[in-house]
Amino acid sequence: MEPEQARRTLETERERGLRAIAEAASLDDLERARVTFLGRRSPWSEVQRSLGSLPPEARRELGRLANEVKAALDGALAARRAELEALAEDELLRTDRVDVTLPGRRPRPGSFHPLTIVQEEIVGIFTRMGYRVAEGPEIEDDWHNFEALNIPPDHPARTMKDSLYIDVPGLLLRTETSAVQIRTMERQEPPVYVVAPGRVYRREAVDATHGSVFHQVEGLAVDEGISFADLKGTLEAFARALFGPERRVRLNPDYFPFVEPGAQVAVSCFLCDGSGCRVCGNGWIELLGAGMVHPKVLENCGYDAERYTGFAFGMGVERVAMVRYGVNDLRLFYDGDVRFLERFEGAA
Amino acid sequence: MRVVLSWLREFCPTELSAEELAELLTSKGAEVEAVERPWERLRGVIAARVLEVRDHPNSDRLCVARVHTGSGETEVVVGVRNMAPGDIVPLAGPGAMVPLLPEPLAAREIRGVVSNGMLCAPDELGISHSHEGILILPPDLEPGTDLKRALGLDDAVLDIEVTPNRPDFLSVIGIAREVAAATGAPLRIPEPTFPEEEERADEVATVRVEDPERCPRYLARVLRDVRHVASPIPVQARLTAAGMRPISAAVDATNYAMLEVGQPLHPFDLALLKGPGIVVRRAREGERMVTLDGVERVLTADDLLICDLERPVAVAGVMGGEVAEISEATTDILLESASFERGGIQRTRRRLELSTEASMRFERGVDPEAVPRGADRACELMVAWCGARVLSGAVDVGRAPERRWVSMRTSRASMLIGYEVTPADAVSVFDRLGMRSRIDGEVVHVEIPGYRVDIEREVDLIEEVVRIQGYDRVGATLPPVRQAGGVPETVAFLGRVRELLVRAGLREVQLVPFVSETDLALVGATDAIRITNPLQAEEGWLRTSLLPNLLKAVRRNLHRQVRSVAIFEVGTVFRLVAGRPEERPSAAFALTGVADPGWTGGGRVYDVFDAKGVLEAVAAGLGIRLDHGEALGRPFHPGRSAAVLLRGERVGVLGELHPSVAAALDLTGRIAVGELDLPRLREAASEARIVGAEIPRFPPVRRDLAFVVDVDVPAAAVEAVLREAAGELLDACLLFDVFEGDPLPPGKRSLAFSVDLRAPDRTLGSEEADAVVARIAERLARELGAELRTG
Ligand SMILES: [Zn+2]
Repeated sequence: MEPEQARRTLETERERGLRAIAEAASLDDLERARVTFLGRRSPWSEVQRSLGSLPPEARRELGRLANEVKAALDGALAARRAELEALAEDELLRTDRVDVTLPGRRPRPGSFHPLTIVQEEIVGIFTRMGYRVAEGPEIEDDWHNFEALNIPPDHPARTMKDSLYIDVPGLLLRTETSAVQIRTMERQEPPVYVVAPGRVYRREAVDATHGSVFHQVEGLAVDEGISFADLKGTLEAFARALFGPERRVRLNPDYFPFVEPGAQVAVSCFLCDGSGCRVCGNGWIELLGAGMVHPKVLENCGYDAERYTGFAFGMGVERVAMVRYGVNDLRLFYDGDVRFLERFEGAA
Repeated sequence: MRVVLSWLREFCPTELSAEELAELLTSKGAEVEAVERPWERLRGVIAARVLEVRDHPNSDRLCVARVHTGSGETEVVVGVRNMAPGDIVPLAGPGAMVPLLPEPLAAREIRGVVSNGMLCAPDELGISHSHEGILILPPDLEPGTDLKRALGLDDAVLDIEVTPNRPDFLSVIGIAREVAAATGAPLRIPEPTFPEEEERADEVATVRVEDPERCPRYLARVLRDVRHVASPIPVQARLTAAGMRPISAAVDATNYAMLEVGQPLHPFDLALLKGPGIVVRRAREGERMVTLDGVERVLTADDLLICDLERPVAVAGVMGGEVAEISEATTDILLESASFERGGIQRTRRRLELSTEASMRFERGVDPEAVPRGADRACELMVAWCGARVLSGAVDVGRAPERRWVSMRTSRASMLIGYEVTPADAVSVFDRLGMRSRIDGEVVHVEIPGYRVDIEREVDLIEEVVRIQGYDRVGATLPPVRQAGGVPETVAFLGRVRELLVRAGLREVQLVPFVSETDLALVGATDAIRITNPLQAEEGWLRTSLLPNLLKAVRRNLHRQVRSVAIFEVGTVFRLVAGRPEERPSAAFALTGVADPGWTGGGRVYDVFDAKGVLEAVAAGLGIRLDHGEALGRPFHPGRSAAVLLRGERVGVLGELHPSVAAALDLTGRIAVGELDLPRLREAASEARIVGAEIPRFPPVRRDLAFVVDVDVPAAAVEAVLREAAGELLDACLLFDVFEGDPLPPGKRSLAFSVDLRAPDRTLGSEEADAVVARIAERLARELGAELRTG
């Protein structure tokens, strides 16, 4: 091939090639253009192959030109490929789009029972204070449920809560978690700092505020030098952890056979801060029964009641949950109604 | 205990209002549950004199009364005719209000006659429960007098919740003592006074106590010429406000004295007592008597009886008998005032299921020193109200016990309360309580009056100190807890299982653990524990399994149109093992309805594989392996259930309910359930160890292998053979497809496994992998007739 003809061919191919690449409408068109202008049978390849037969000077010059043309075409091909790929992706994304306002595909949501949530929270407050969780059976004997708690057979306190007995002589469904106090003291020497959550039973007709089954958390501290002020301080710390740092605690005298002095404990309402509202009535929420462990109870467990003193308290988990979540009917807790349980998905 | 405020003020003239007293008493341990004003709505009712009573022109039943109102005359239509000209009656004219009616009265026409208000019966004024006739007022009341003021109907009632340790609060005087102690107001308890006849009580009647332990004291007064009249109206009003029914002056006097003093009293008709004499003795086993309420009671040898010389006349301290009951015909009365032992009264009251004002007081403890005062106060009232003549002296057997002295160390009090208590502080508290005390160094000795049955030892005195000084004086400190808190593994494990079940997408329920015999039959329980005294007879057993009540919860939800139910419970189940109760924690769950009710869910319903998935998630979360054994019988679906095995031992059940069982439970659709015995799972889980093993460095060779087998060859069997044949090079094996139908011949199915083979020390070559696949195919063909599908 003449050098002049070769030059013209390269120039023409560059021009035609760039145009064809620019006009390529698809990646397939682009590939065809590449083969046409840079493939083995393309005029550009032909020129490239003929370079060897040219005089050195023309070979150098045309060689440079051939490389320039290839670089220009390669560059155009790459740019056009990028353009076409972007277009193809746009198209893909367009056909792949969905209505994102449709509801999500949600894993099946589980939830804890509100009584579990509240009980764990109460127990957690005390375990962080250094209390250990203690357990006892739900079926109790007369000793642990009554006698050791300073409730002898003729004691009027036995009539306050009618018990459910089972067909094994001397056994009943425990009426208070207080039975765990006795079991704990029988098992270990002081110091004792325990909380005992659990189910208790009463022979009581079921209505919005009474159940035959409910939950209590019992607390017991026995050590040297434990005072009534320690009880008050502990319950105050508890109330603040549960209902907020502004809470105040009020103790009024009350009677439980296994404590002396005994107290009814109320916490200033977390909703109205003690000014009185629909939930609390008079600004105070009655939350627990408490008192100093009766020396007879300590003696019944083989403790030296002169050396050791202690306090005990008990609260209803349902009561706390009702106040906390604004539940007005105790029966909701024991129905298994999914619509009720759903509400506690967000509870922590 | 309902305490009428004016009555209380007779003994302690406090200036405090009812509300202030309520708050004060509550802060001292006598919780006032409510302050009531029974006559708050009584307004404008006056005394009127009846001038004429004539027939209603248009009614046989009604009459028309013309009355003088003090300032004029008016006419009212009346439904009864017990009033006569000259009687003073209550008139509620237009605009007046009576407690029983919601609206003020107005003049209105009744069958053609205008009635200017009404004449009032006792119940309409809240004076008694009687509605038999118009209340006839004392003749000395001037017409026009406002009755609210004249009859003292401007009173408040404190409704006090009395704790069992303070029976002294079951009397007006007891509450007055507490108010005096709390306020410092004086306490004035007058001695009853009345003239006594020359005739002596002990000449008329005898008393013999055969069981002085159960009846430490029996005192009888004798009264003659007791008129059968009604009590004064203010007395009736007071009794009604206190929650008692006015009956007749004689009976009212005993009730009034009891409410005031706290000493239960019982009047017998002297003429009906054989002897006349009283014998206090135990009943004979099976002895019978008819009590005042007309019920024949069968007694035991533990019951104490009051008898005359021939027969029982009362169940001691509980209820009188019919035979010597006082009536309109009674003229002479033997009045009983006695002490009975608390426990005995309680046992009898329980056996007879008969609680009365008397038994309620005796079983809590009545002041043994109040026996004479109670009797004397009733005598004084019967003299005043019934014109009774009281014979001199009393037939008095036994006596009150000596007062106890209890000592308190002030150092001990200071330590226990948490603030400093000096002997002088303590003495001032006991002074306010009206208890004699004596200082002896740091010790204070206190004499305990009979009415304080609750004070037995030092700590009881310490309570009095802090109670009277005020609980608000107590500081707030924290005890020195010198240990780390924590939860025992048994408790923590239950929390872990709950957590896993919630993570598996189930909602926790808590259900009442009582079940019926039908429920027990459903789960085939024969070792259930029966409740002796269930509240509802049909739910008289403790659950042996969580499933029956869980299924009822499912049913309730389905009936409420809940689409998708996935719930669980972790709780105790109860069984009788060798005659003793055994409690075990259990976990059960139930799934039914649409698995994913959303638009992407495709309407798939829960089935046994969802339940199995829950089980697998729990097992994985506990680091244990659960296997599945043979299919279960009823109540489970025979082809969609399995025993759950842990190391070959059965620890639970899994499956769908048998369709006919579900139908019988009024459940529709597939109900997939599972239940696990937790103690055995806990043991296994406690042994589970997590090993942070080396993560493989070389790539796996993945082969997808589909085997065609007979449909009754279990997938688990195929996988077991596959795993064994693959040997050590097997890294993972996932069953990813199960297929039946065309082009497979009937009775065959294809199980497709994605098998990852990997060598720990090198990249596995494809020839090695081919050899393993060949080995698998050969073993499966030989042992299970499986054919490897190719292509
Ligand atoms: Zn409030």
